[in-house]
Amino acid sequence: MTGRQLAAWALVALALAVVPVLLPSAFYLGIATHALIFAIMALSLNILIGHGGMTSLGHAVYLGVPAYGVAVMTMQLGWSPVPTILFALALGTATAALFGVLALRASGLGFLMITLALGQVMWGAAYRWVGLTGGDNGIRLSGRPTLFGINLTDAVPFYIFVALILFMALFCLWQLDRSAFGACLRGTRDQPRRMRMLGHDVWRIRWTAFVLAGFWGSVSGVLYCYDYQYVSPAALSLPQSAEALLMVVLGGAGTLAGPVVGAIVITAIKTIVSSYVDRWYTLLGLTFIIVVSVMPTGLVPGIAAWVKGRRA
Amino acid sequence: MTVPALQITQLAKSFGGVAATRGVSLTIMPGERRLLIGPNGAGKTTLFNQIAGDFLPDSGSIELFGETITRLPTRKRVHMGLGRTYQVLTLFPRDTFLHNVALSLIGSEGGGWSAWGALKHRSAMLEQAEQALVGVGLGQAAHRRVSETSYGERRRLELAMALAQKPRLLLLDEPLAGLSAEERETVRVLLEQIPRDVTIILIEHDMDVALAFADQITLLNFGQVILEGTRAEVIADPRTREVYLGG
Repeated sequence: MTGRQLAAWALVALALAVVPVLLPSAFYLGIATHALIFAIMALSLNILIGHGGMTSLGHAVYLGVPAYGVAVMTMQLGWSPVPTILFALALGTATAALFGVLALRASGLGFLMITLALGQVMWGAAYRWVGLTGGDNGIRLSGRPTLFGINLTDAVPFYIFVALILFMALFCLWQLDRSAFGACLRGTRDQPRRMRMLGHDVWRIRWTAFVLAGFWGSVSGVLYCYDYQYVSPAALSLPQSAEALLMVVLGGAGTLAGPVVGAIVITAIKTIVSSYVDRWYTLLGLTFIIVVSVMPTGLVPGIAAWVKGRRA
Repeated sequence: MTVPALQITQLAKSFGGVAATRGVSLTIMPGERRLLIGPNGAGKTTLFNQIAGDFLPDSGSIELFGETITRLPTRKRVHMGLGRTYQVLTLFPRDTFLHNVALSLIGSEGGGWSAWGALKHRSAMLEQAEQALVGVGLGQAAHRRVSETSYGERRRLELAMALAQKPRLLLLDEPLAGLSAEERETVRVLLEQIPRDVTIILIEHDMDVALAFADQITLLNFGQVILEGTRAEVIADPRTREVYLGG
């Protein structure tokens, strides 16, 4: 790692560390925690959209399925936290492995429609399978767990836990970006036919990306369940998938910082503004239209280009 | 008897009602330089697409160095020694020349991306990629992005990407298309330098270069082989003038 890269990572760690100092109230720190969890979800979706060129409208599956996994194992079977988390991650990732096989029968719009349909199937199952999921009422957890001797009930330890995982996710995805696999994935996005002619297994590259996205999505799903201590079909809904997509596009698909910025902006609008305005979806739509017309590639590349232009 | 590099038997393919390839048979021996000529729409690129496996023929068979590849996926054909350049450039424009060749080398490893480490630490492979660029006279351009380079340089990059894989059979689809006289000369010399253990099938409309390069010529029209023979035979044949040279 070069000196500049090390400095950048130190800065990210510092930024994450000062948030609890700047936001002493548990309420605002809670909002910051929500934002970081959605940042992990958006980062995972960005593997598909930004690097793979595969736009999915069903990514809520990997938020909701592991979240239900945590809730069911904890509340109905009484599992302890570590096996519960491992199970939920495995469940979400296995779902991605299966759904990847189905969705990758198509690309482009076909891929989008299959992911959408699979998402709706899972949403419908959560809604109707009342015995397992509690249907519309969802499942409420009895509290946050104690992991490795640390009780995550309070806002500060839970925030630190989430921030550490986000940091890990950022680091892993940065590595992915620089790896031979990352290069191949972007190759299949830009020139799939050429990639085949160079001897690459395009399907396998895409499927691997889909499973990776499912794994990191599941990480956000586990955190989501512990954060809200509640899961309902809303976690699997189409608006939830669309929101994740919006975060990626708004922040800047294909960049590392973009999904994080997108998640923070949208969570801020959603949580803060919705306490003053009823129609926050309208506001979200307007924000999106404005950003996309001014900076079509998203906030992070847009601002970077703007700064560069002012310097020149 | 030597096994042919490529043996195509009674290959046929139609799209809807249009027959693009009608019973084409071709035998190409190892080390041969074969030129495919024919008017636009004669089915030359369509034939390349079938050899490469972009789509499957309706009937007939294709053998590469004695092994049937008719229904194999493209990547397996590549691992058996098939290389190709495209008439329309298909490069990775946002990346450097070196990165483009690296993608080619990773592809020929066959699932070599199982190495999740940083690409820039794969120094042996990057060295090999750089050598491939030096081989086509692009050593200095290795770290330039494709989008910042000239069309002529991109044509040579196409060639470097194919040659880096050390193919045994190379399909060249109009490697001189759109080049200036000077650039044509550069590419002509590069093509001459390709060692004879690489078999080459060439589609090219620049007759000065193509005729000098080819040992054998196949004339295609309406998806059929009209004529096949040595350079002298094909040039002398009146049918060549009729369908192609525009008599």
